[in-house]
Amino acid sequence: MTATEERAVGARVERPRGMVVIGRRLALPMSRAALLVGVGIVLALVAAAVATLTMGRLGVPLGELPTALTGGAEGKSLFVLDRLRGPRLVVAIAAGAALGLSGALFQSVTRNPLGSPDVIGLSGGAGAGAAVVALKMPDVPVSLGALVGAAAAITLVYFSTGTGFRDPGRLIVAGIGVAAIALALTQYVVYAVERERATALTAYVNGSLAARSWEDARDIGLALLVLLPLTLALSRRLEIGEMGDEIAAALGAEPKRTRTQAVLLSVLLSAAAISVAGPIAFIALTAPQIARRLTGGSGAHLLLSALMGSLLLVLADLAAQQLPMDDMPVGIYTMAIGGIYLGYLLTREWRKGRL
Amino acid sequence: MTSDEGTGAAAAPAEPAVPAAPAGKGLSVRGVTLSYGGTPVVRELSLDLPHGGLTMIIGPNGCGKSTLIKALARAIKPDAGAVLLNGTDLRAYRGRAVAREVALLPQSPLAPEGISVRGLVRRGRYPHHTLLRQWSPEDDTAIAFALERTGLTELADARVGELSGGQRQRVWIAMVLAQQTELLLLDEPTTFLDVAHQYELLELCAELHREGRTVVAVLHDLNQAARFASHLVVMHEGRVVAEGPPAEVLTAELVGEVFGLPCDIVPDPRTSTPMVVPHAKLVPGRPL
Repeated sequence: MTATEERAVGARVERPRGMVVIGRRLALPMSRAALLVGVGIVLALVAAAVATLTMGRLGVPLGELPTALTGGAEGKSLFVLDRLRGPRLVVAIAAGAALGLSGALFQSVTRNPLGSPDVIGLSGGAGAGAAVVALKMPDVPVSLGALVGAAAAITLVYFSTGTGFRDPGRLIVAGIGVAAIALALTQYVVYAVERERATALTAYVNGSLAARSWEDARDIGLALLVLLPLTLALSRRLEIGEMGDEIAAALGAEPKRTRTQAVLLSVLLSAAAISVAGPIAFIALTAPQIARRLTGGSGAHLLLSALMGSLLLVLADLAAQQLPMDDMPVGIYTMAIGGIYLGYLLTREWRKGRL
Repeated sequence: MTSDEGTGAAAAPAEPAVPAAPAGKGLSVRGVTLSYGGTPVVRELSLDLPHGGLTMIIGPNGCGKSTLIKALARAIKPDAGAVLLNGTDLRAYRGRAVAREVALLPQSPLAPEGISVRGLVRRGRYPHHTLLRQWSPEDDTAIAFALERTGLTELADARVGELSGGQRQRVWIAMVLAQQTELLLLDEPTTFLDVAHQYELLELCAELHREGRTVVAVLHDLNQAARFASHLVVMHEGRVVAEGPPAEVLTAELVGEVFGLPCDIVPDPRTSTPMVVPHAKLVPGRPL
C-alpha cells in the first residue's frame, strides 16, 4: 500500500495530522476526538440495543442472546426477536440516524441550532402528510405522503419568512405557524376516521415505534443506504458554506447549489424516518448539537450526528417500553425532554441577540 | 486616464468567447454590468488590474467597489460582460480552479462556532482538495507559512471566537494566504482595526506585493491608499473615473468631484505620496 511506502521513505512525506490516508487518492479527515466520541457512541448504542432486547418480562435472557441472534432462537424468544423487538430496534436505529442527519444538514444550512426540522415545521408537515395518506388514501404509500407533506411544509416556511432560511427568528416564527397547521390537519384526519382505527394511528401525532415490521426496517434501511453517502459527500462543502456565501463562492464551493442539495436531502431523510416512525420530536434538534459539544470542534459532524440520533432514539424507545406507562408512544418522551432543551436554546440565542 | 470603454461591452457573449483584447496574465474586466439585489451597481465597466501590482480601489460609499471586487473572485456573477482570468472568461473555469489562482477576503466572513485558528486557516486549502482526497502534501507548509506571516503561530490552537478583533482579521488573512494564490483580493481589510493594526496589515500587503503577488484591495482611507498603492483605481457611481499611479491620479479636483470634499493635496512628509488635507470649515482653502 502506498501509505506504508510513503512512511518507509521517511521524513520527506509526513503523515498528515487528523487524517486517514489510504493510498494516494483517499485522504479523509478523522480527528482523534471525533474517533473517540464515535467509538463511545457506538458502544453505548450496543449496550442500549442489548438492553432493548433483554429487559422486561418478555426480554430474551442475556445468556441466551448470542445463540438467539445467530439463528438459535425458538418459541417465545423467536417471537420477541423476530416480531416484537427486533424490527422495532432496527427501525429505531435507522430512523434515529436519519433524523440526526436531517437535523445536522438543516442546522448547517441555517447556521443556527434552532434551524432544525422539528422546530421549523418540517417534521409536522411530514407527519400530517403520512396521516392523510395512511387514513384517507390506502393505495398510496405512506412514505410518499410524508415526503409531500414535508416538502409542502418547508416550501410554506421558505416563502412566509420573506428572507428564505437566512433569518433564524423569522424561521422559527414561521415554523411554529406551519407546525400548528400540520398538527391541526393530523388531528382532524385522526378524529375523522373510526375510533378503533384511530387509536392505532396516534403514532402520526406523537411518533411511535410500537409494532414495527421488518418491512418498515427494510424501507428506512434502504433510504439510509442511499441518502447517507450522498449526505457525507456534501459535508466539506457544508463546512465551507458556514463561513458565508461570498467566501464559499471564492473558494469554489457553489454555496447556493450546496444549500439546495442539503435542504433536499434533509427533507428526504426526515420524510423517510417519519413515514416509518411518525414525527418523533427533537431527535433532529438535539443529536447534532450533542455530537458537536462532545467533540468540542466545529463543522457539521454528520456521521456523529447520525450515530447520536440512533442512540437517542433507541434509549427513548427503551424507556417507552420499560417504564410503567403501558408502551406510551416514544415521541411523548422525546417531546418532554427535547422541549426542555429547546427552551434552553431559545433563551441562549435570545440572550446572545441572535433571535 | 479614463478607461471606461463602454462600447466594448455591447455584445455580452453567451458562451465564453476568445477575448478580442490581448489580456495577459492576471485579472481584467470587459464591459461588466453587476447588480446587487436587482439594481445595477456597476455598469459596463472595463478595467485591467496590473499583474504583479498592488492596486487599491477607492470611491465613495455605494460606488460599486465592493461589488466589483466580489465579481473578480466569482462571488457575484456578471449580468453582462466578462471577468477574464489570464485571458479566459471566469465562467469557463471550474470553481476550484479559479480559487487556486484568486483568493477573496470579503467584508464580514463568519467564523463557525468553536473553530480553532488552525482549523479556519486549513479551510483555505479547500480548492486544493477533492471529495476523497481532503489533504495535500503542501497543506502543512502552506498553513505554517500563513500562520507565520500573520504572526499567529503561537495562537494556532486558540479558538477564533476568543481572539481580539485585530487578531481575528489576521486569521482571515491567514486563511486566504493558505489558499496559495497568485492574486489576493481584500474588501476593506482594515475596517474594525485600530490605526496601528491598519498599518500592520497594509505593510503585510506591501510585503506580499514585493514578493511578487498581485494584491487588490478596496480601501476607505485615501491617504493609506495613496501611500501603499502602486496603482490607484477611483470609482464613482459604478464607473472607473480615474486610474494610474497615485501621484498622477489623486488631485484636489478629483477628490472634490468624486467625494464632494474640498481639500488640498500635499506630499506626505514620510513617503512623498499625495496626501489629502481636507479644508477646515473656518479657513477655507488656506495652503499649509
